[in-house]
Amino acid sequence: MGNALMVLAVPSKGRLMERTLDYFADAGMDIRRSGSARGYRGEMPSIHGVEVVFMSASEIAAALHQGRVHMGVTGEDLVREDVAKPDETAHWHAKLGFGHAKVVVAVPQCWIDVRGMRDLAEIGFQFRRRHGRRMRVATKYGNTTRRFFNENGISDYRIVESLGATEGTPAAGTAELIVDITSTGATLEANGLKILDDGTILESEANLVGSKTAHWPPEVRAVENEVLGKLGL
Amino acid sequence: MTPEATQKFQALEDQAHDLMSYFCGVGFEMVAPSIIQPADVFLDAVGEDLRGRTYVFTDPEGSELCLRPDLTIPTCRLHWDRCSREGGTTLAQYCYNGPAFRFQPSGSRANTHPREYRQLGIERFGDRDREKSEIEILSVIVSALERAGLRDYTIRIGDLGIFHELLSAADLPSRWRERLRAHFWRPEAFRSELRQMTTKPDARIEGLPPELLSLIRGQEPLAAERILSVFLDEQGVDVIGTRSLSEVTESLLAALEDAEADALPEETAALIENYFQVAAPARAAGARLRDLMQQADIDIAPALDVFNTRLKHLSDTPIDPANVTFSAEFGRTLAYYTGFVFEVVSDMLGPESPVAGGGRYDSLMKMVGATTEVPAVGAMIHTERLLSAVSEAGNG
Repeated sequence: MGNALMVLAVPSKGRLMERTLDYFADAGMDIRRSGSARGYRGEMPSIHGVEVVFMSASEIAAALHQGRVHMGVTGEDLVREDVAKPDETAHWHAKLGFGHAKVVVAVPQCWIDVRGMRDLAEIGFQFRRRHGRRMRVATKYGNTTRRFFNENGISDYRIVESLGATEGTPAAGTAELIVDITSTGATLEANGLKILDDGTILESEANLVGSKTAHWPPEVRAVENEVLGKLGL
Repeated sequence: MTPEATQKFQALEDQAHDLMSYFCGVGFEMVAPSIIQPADVFLDAVGEDLRGRTYVFTDPEGSELCLRPDLTIPTCRLHWDRCSREGGTTLAQYCYNGPAFRFQPSGSRANTHPREYRQLGIERFGDRDREKSEIEILSVIVSALERAGLRDYTIRIGDLGIFHELLSAADLPSRWRERLRAHFWRPEAFRSELRQMTTKPDARIEGLPPELLSLIRGQEPLAAERILSVFLDEQGVDVIGTRSLSEVTESLLAALEDAEADALPEETAALIENYFQVAAPARAAGARLRDLMQQADIDIAPALDVFNTRLKHLSDTPIDPANVTFSAEFGRTLAYYTGFVFEVVSDMLGPESPVAGGGRYDSLMKMVGATTEVPAVGAMIHTERLLSAVSEAGNG
């Protein structure tokens, strides 16, 4: 690659990508896809020394932790889920004001006796006694769920990994409750679920994140400063 | 391997060999449980927290497996494989030596908390002479440590049975007893639960629909369930999931009962909290426990008898009772123990890194298949810690 470049990871599709490209363009840093229109590489002609890569938002979170990219735009929820101690590998530059969503604990609406995490602890051991197993929590946020349940003194549960349609698992009988991401809560409601009063684990939005584990030679650091400067950070 | 690593490897091998010959010599059968274990048993016994500390993976057939995080459960499974026809109650005692795996955050404690460590231990199943067998296991472990060269150490003991007996004897609704037992393993949640019982036993009905509560108050469970069903229907709420309406009803009725119950007397809460404060040399602790219960007019004589029986057996061993401390709090963070617990702390490494520990775990055999509890006592030695405690002592 010759001279060291600063690798900037940008979401590869949807609103998140559009808003990210706008964010940089508004600061005078247009990003163009290089090669074919569907390529996964891009360039930032206004700054010398930047290489742009397009990736899925969850891949960006992993790449930041592993130091494969220097800087990236992705959801806070994904960065926090990926590793045990996210603050040791991620440098939070700025919240970007788009991509808003909450990671929440949701239970069936017919659980009228359960409004908060404390009630969940209570029914956890009742459930275990009655069914001879722990209640199941369907989620793709295993680490985040474990941390939050632990802080709330809940131990009688099992995590069931869910990679799609998490909100349907309670009705399908493959989990008792879920931890999932939602923006308006409408999907949860349509599936007969409600969010617990104190069940919001994280209010997430798109963030500009730097990697503490990437290799940062002085020339790359200089490029970072230039980009941050243009963004007013 | 670097020469240094080779040297350490050889030293660990020699130490393990000596310890294992000693255990075999005093009647423990050497076994080698599988390294790869089904994750399920561990997750059930320890809970989801385990996942954060264990190497869990899925094999090509889709089974969820783990690298064993300790050897006690694998040894229970081995014992069950051999003796399931007798319900696992056959008298047997095993010793083992091999690697166990626990995730540890990278950092400075790598020396005393390696991710891959060698665990060496003993387990005894089916011995109904409970206190005698507990002290024998303790004594065999202490002798083994001494033979390996450990000199400056203290022994800490605890007994989860005393707490359970205290709860049974104290005057409180059975639901609360059950709740305190469930929170026992999380001292902080336990404390806040206890506080709520003394100050605000009605907290759970706050925010529940008052019209529903007044309809089901005083109703039999079946009638209350019908009322709830109509109520949900009127609200347009579908009944979904595996947790049935009868469970929701039961929980609502319990919340109503709690709200009408008298708050837990301050003295009872204080007694429970004071109990957890007891930490003293074993003999003195026995007397202190007796005084504490007498003042509160609580009778837990059987648990105190057990305590004294153990001390009597202890005096038949070479262990100096003055070197044994009792701590009521000890054992609260160790998931599967059910009664007596102990650990050996070297002066060199301190209480954060005990060189050995063990206790009674009567319910574990049920988790691997037995239909009833099976008396089980065991203990394990952290071989890396033992080696560093004895070699640093030698250098210093």
